[in-house]
Amino acid sequence: MMTNRRSIFRGAVGLLLAGLVAFALPAAAQQAGKAPSDFVQKLGDRAISVLADPKVSKPQAVEVFRELLNDNFDVQTIGRFVLGRYWNTAQPAQQKEYMSLFEQMIVEVYAERFSQYSGETFKVTGSQPAGERDAVVTSQVLRPSGPPVNVAWRVRGKDGGFKIVDVVVENVSMSQTQRSEFASVIENNGGRFEALLDALRQRIRTVQTGQASAR
Amino acid sequence: MSCRAPVTLAATAVLMLLTGCASTPQTTASARPGPNDPLEPVNRGIFWVNEAVDVVLIRPAAEIYRAVLPDPAQTGVRNVLRNLRSPLDLANQTLQGDWNGAGNVLERFALNTTVGIGGLIDVAARQGIPYEYESFDQTLAVWGVPEGPYLVLPLIGPSSVRDAVGFGGEYLGDPVRLYADNNDLEWASYTRTGLTVLDTRAGYIDVIDDLRRNSFDYYAAMRSLYRQRRDGLIRDGAPDPTQMPDIPDYDNSSTP
Repeated sequence: MMTNRRSIFRGAVGLLLAGLVAFALPAAAQQAGKAPSDFVQKLGDRAISVLADPKVSKPQAVEVFRELLNDNFDVQTIGRFVLGRYWNTAQPAQQKEYMSLFEQMIVEVYAERFSQYSGETFKVTGSQPAGERDAVVTSQVLRPSGPPVNVAWRVRGKDGGFKIVDVVVENVSMSQTQRSEFASVIENNGGRFEALLDALRQRIRTVQTGQASAR
Repeated sequence: MSCRAPVTLAATAVLMLLTGCASTPQTTASARPGPNDPLEPVNRGIFWVNEAVDVVLIRPAAEIYRAVLPDPAQTGVRNVLRNLRSPLDLANQTLQGDWNGAGNVLERFALNTTVGIGGLIDVAARQGIPYEYESFDQTLAVWGVPEGPYLVLPLIGPSSVRDAVGFGGEYLGDPVRLYADNNDLEWASYTRTGLTVLDTRAGYIDVIDDLRRNSFDYYAAMRSLYRQRRDGLIRDGAPDPTQMPDIPDYDNSSTP
């Protein structure tokens, strides 16, 4: 009886403390702890639950993906980073169009990639700080056949929550690869920024038509 | 692979050495400012020839290999190929001063060659000693040899001056190949090379198909990918936050 009451008491204090901590600490301050790992695990679980659901149609999946992207990725920062110094060579109108095309391209291309889902599962394996701002969360994508794929997520504490700024698959950073490609497209077209916009438009068109024919 | 391959290789290796002397020291790939690809026009030419050979010959062969051979057989082939690399892995681990890694190679070789029936079954990996690919180009990198300009080698593909030297050196010094070639077992070396090509290419079918479909500049994407993967191998696969590029924070409010 005595022990029972004490455990209830302890439980209540524990809850109270947890509530206080959650209330008192801004999300950014929890960055050092488990928070980035949890953030990535939750995002992965959510993505897989949508992908694995046969009731979700392809256009619906694209919309969910767009939502996940905008809620959980710092698209603005990624878009700027992959453009590097060429951002400043663009006119304000071009910059604006680039950002919109970039977001569209990411959604279309990755939604198409994820549509090939075939029973993969996902588990976070660790987390370490990266620089002053970020944490790198390492994870493994376990496939029904073949060895697991190592995926690292570079997560930044932002606006009281977390945003992903880079995804590194088997040591290959998506942002860095995209950045070198964009630079190459612009350089090989005499430094014309418009060439990149053309390439983006073209890319979005082909993915969309590809999806239309696959449907 | 034709019978000329060794000659071409040796010649390239020498050429690489010569050009290597003229190259300037480089920092790590992530900190590299430009693509470091002064031979880009030539490289692109070779790249597209390689692509043609790949589309017509290598990819279809790899596809057949992947489709026809049952999964366990493919795993077995990969295990044997890896086991045959043991002398090279051991030498490179030692040259890199990775004693722990060298011990692992020995232990793996002993276990897999005996219990694993000539390397067919990777018993050691199940015991918690996974395979680690260590090549001479990685050793050169660990020694601090600068990477030198990017190169695309005929048939072999993406490389760099340092990596090409490493590749050539490893080919010339491979005890398993030397033994086979000195004992009229050239066919074994050719079979091994052929299977290595098929096994490697088969593993990349999906990645490369995706890259061909979704890249904006396939050549540039491949160049970046190759370097990042190789740098990962040099670090023995561990993600290294200090090597990651600085991604500044851009204000969300500046653009709608």
